[in-house]
Amino acid sequence: MNQQRAQQASPFESDRRNFLKLTAMAAATSVASSTAFGSSAFGETAFGADSTDATEAGASDVRWDKAPCRFCGTGCHVQVGVREGKVVAIAGDPLAEVNKGLLCMKGYHVGLALYGKDRLTQPLLRVDGELQPISWERAIQIAAEKIHAAPERFAFYGSGQWTIPEGYAAQKFMKGGLGNNHIDPNARLCMASAVTGFIATYGVDEPAGCYDDLDQCDVLITWGNNPAEMHPVLYSRVVDRRSRGETVEIIDISTRRTRTTEHAQRHLVFRPHSDLAIANGIAHLLIANGNYDEEFVNKHCAFRAPSDPPTLPGRPISFDEYKGFVAEYTPEHVEKISGVPADEIRYLAALFGRRDVKITSLWCMGMNQHTQGTAINCLVHGIHLLSGHFGRAGDAPTSLTGQPSACGTVREVGTLAHALPGGRVVMNSEHRAQSEQIWNVPAGRISPMPGFHTVAMWDSFCTPLADGGKLDTLWVQVTNPGQTLPNLHKLFNRKEGLEDKFLIVSEVYPTATTALADLVFPSAMWVEKNGMFGNSERRTQQWFKQVEPPGDARDDVWQTIAVAHRLHELGVPGMKDKDGRFLFREEDSGGKEVPIWEWEHYYDLNVDERLFEEYRKFTRLKHKDLAPYSEYVKTRGLRWPVVQSDAGEWRETRFRFVEEQDPYVAKGKGIDFYHSPTHDGRAQVWFSPYVDPPESPDEAYPFWLCTGRVIEHWHTGTMTRRIPQLDRAMPRAYVELHRADAEALGVTSGDVVVIESRRGRIELPAWIDGRGQPPRGSVFVPFFDESKLINEVTLDAYDPFSKQPDYKKCAVSVRKLVKP
Amino acid sequence: MSGDEGFSRRDLFRRLGARGKEVARARLEPVIPVRPVAPAKNIEPRTRHRVVPLHRPPGALDEEAFLAACTKCGDCASACPHGAIVPAPARFGPAGLTPTIIPMASACQMCPDTPCITSCEPRALRIEQPLRMAEARIQPWACLAHQGTFCSVCVERCPVPGAMELVDGKPIIDASICTGCGVCQYVCPAPENAILLMPLTARPTASPSS
Repeated sequence: MNQQRAQQASPFESDRRNFLKLTAMAAATSVASSTAFGSSAFGETAFGADSTDATEAGASDVRWDKAPCRFCGTGCHVQVGVREGKVVAIAGDPLAEVNKGLLCMKGYHVGLALYGKDRLTQPLLRVDGELQPISWERAIQIAAEKIHAAPERFAFYGSGQWTIPEGYAAQKFMKGGLGNNHIDPNARLCMASAVTGFIATYGVDEPAGCYDDLDQCDVLITWGNNPAEMHPVLYSRVVDRRSRGETVEIIDISTRRTRTTEHAQRHLVFRPHSDLAIANGIAHLLIANGNYDEEFVNKHCAFRAPSDPPTLPGRPISFDEYKGFVAEYTPEHVEKISGVPADEIRYLAALFGRRDVKITSLWCMGMNQHTQGTAINCLVHGIHLLSGHFGRAGDAPTSLTGQPSACGTVREVGTLAHALPGGRVVMNSEHRAQSEQIWNVPAGRISPMPGFHTVAMWDSFCTPLADGGKLDTLWVQVTNPGQTLPNLHKLFNRKEGLEDKFLIVSEVYPTATTALADLVFPSAMWVEKNGMFGNSERRTQQWFKQVEPPGDARDDVWQTIAVAHRLHELGVPGMKDKDGRFLFREEDSGGKEVPIWEWEHYYDLNVDERLFEEYRKFTRLKHKDLAPYSEYVKTRGLRWPVVQSDAGEWRETRFRFVEEQDPYVAKGKGIDFYHSPTHDGRAQVWFSPYVDPPESPDEAYPFWLCTGRVIEHWHTGTMTRRIPQLDRAMPRAYVELHRADAEALGVTSGDVVVIESRRGRIELPAWIDGRGQPPRGSVFVPFFDESKLINEVTLDAYDPFSKQPDYKKCAVSVRKLVKP
Repeated sequence: MSGDEGFSRRDLFRRLGARGKEVARARLEPVIPVRPVAPAKNIEPRTRHRVVPLHRPPGALDEEAFLAACTKCGDCASACPHGAIVPAPARFGPAGLTPTIIPMASACQMCPDTPCITSCEPRALRIEQPLRMAEARIQPWACLAHQGTFCSVCVERCPVPGAMELVDGKPIIDASICTGCGVCQYVCPAPENAILLMPLTARPTASPSS
């Protein structure tokens, strides 16, 4: 039949091809009309009885509007085509600087993420073990009563997929309303170490460079990073330069061979955890060979080393002390620790020693999900600073984020247990006072004690109150901890059957998390609501609601405000501001209060815009200035700081801390780290020693386990696994094994093997010489598959400063499954 | 594509005998809508030209010989562990109800032990025949990798060693090795499927001695 299709389509094949060519001109590759099989959203424009007609006639009644892609932290923009209240087409947005019209495999299908058959469309309450439909009225009432009963035992678990207004509303509700700091995001599992790395080095979070560096660099180093699968559009941006005749050398430093490696000239495979030694080895050679950038260092850098007891600011050291510390890391010593040949270390050091090449470093989870995550982040910044590979276009140490608003929401709005909006922290009394003033709440409302970070929060929630658990009600929004937390048996599965625990989950599909939920709020997603994201390069993006959510699904911001208002009605004092008014009071132009907690009135005004304009007041302190909401409506995002020129134009910043680029660097300064931890304009070059990982392979568990993502699926696959094309392309999880290990175990591709750690076990089909190839003694398992929860095996050890767990290494045993 | 309706493939074929068109339409049409083609007029029917280019299971005889040999018993379909072999729509005339593969529903997985061929009593499928079923082509305008983003799914899932490889990150088919099983088409995640499959109808017929 399929060939029938191909045959019969031939008369109009040329028409379709011409159409595609036309679209291809506008947008590198475009069109989401669909494969013929089984797609619901795009079925209308699929091959079929009148596909050509549909495409042509359809073009006129499809309404197009911009939105950032729902999936990763790259922040591509798409054009969303809507017809008859449904998203029917997706195209890359040619006006977007990030992706210039290109999208990745997931991006082209993002519209289908809305139309899985099992969308949650009504509130559900667990009654006698079963989730039963209830009304919104009752659902909000139950949630409010649970929180009201013991506000101090309530926690909010959010996400780097929270829109900026969603995160801001939750933040204000918790810290400014309940005076409770138990709010933390899944981004704790994702980029917390990048934050501590930036703060320890520059005194302020987020990258100085941006994606423009990728167009300018001569050398790209990927540190434990696989952008070919995780940030494909960015990697395309680099690899594409070669087809234009430009040369760019790619050096992949990683623990296994990946699709990224295939485009790299050099591949350095290191023993898990030993990246610290590699970075120190480069620093040592830069100094020993005298080709570090002495002028840059003298003008802009200071040196630091870990303090005792360990603190994030560490202790200052002299250059000579630093030199002495790194001296131990000779190329041969580094080779011994890391397995990377000494000559490769020499090559890297020589490269950094050259002033005539521009080097960009990229990293993501490999360096962040690391029990020495803060340290390795600092060390990589340190090499760039020491060698002066900083501050020119193409010379940048840049961390990427995996979630669309890990930066915009979590890091900037500060939805972390210790943070307040705009780079503030709860421990700082001035910061608290500033926040209380903007929120117009009484002095002392905000607690100075940091709340529970993610691992501690879930550990406490899963521990009965009688046994010392401090939390009894937990509200999860826009994330799936039942699949993503490490060591799931300990941090999530234990909740099952605990009668004094109440789990509220705002979700769009049934997930591993809703499986243990007591109350489920059906949520609107992506273009079913207004939203704003902030991507990896400081770019704040905005979109408008374009279609109605299904059934009774409603916006997460509305849910938060509705619960807050119910608490207000229950007389909770925290839900009032200083003047006795509701914490989330919004007024119309005539000064009359709009009851935005009532769904019918929620869209009477643009709540997103109101919350954003309020949040904007927080952003000046750390020079992360944002433009008014209306500016973001006009653009495909702007990179902060966005400052208004004398002529009234809002101007974004591509490179921070650099004169003429960053408006906060005074003329004549060249480079100024104006948030320097030492308050003297200097960035900190850190030394941190190599230390052994918390768990290494031994006789009983002789293999390293690394986990991660695949290109087809985004995170836990709740969206992408419901997109037929992506599900077919990657239907289930697998374990990658080295061929020699597989032979030793008597395993061939497709055989089921058992992976077991001290914490759990899992059975997976083996894939040998497939997409990725781990070295001997290592295995890799993706975490997207809900039916194969690799996080029941992973370790929950975390970085001492960022509290981010390490999903990239633990010890496991591997054996062939013997069927009884 | 079967197995979920609660009856076996063999049953299906039996029922097809009784109910013919309705069942075939019910099962196939919702999957891939086909533009209805007006019956050709004023064309002298010539067998060779009227051969419906169906995607046959591996090892099939030349189409005319295959149609002559196939008893539409459905044994090959029952033997296929992947549910890839289904009856052609009854409206296909002489080819109606003969076994075919719809790769977008379930592609041939190139089983090393070829159970479909082994099960074929009338020897319409023969192991000594080439296993080639179709010609697969990548359409670069639709292929994600050829369009500059990253994708390697077809190459990774191709069950025939050497039939596909990645060159500079882009999939290439070696037509001399490819059997046209259709796995690449099944797994292709591009918005417009990038694999064009053209079933082979002119297949060599095994010599009578074999």
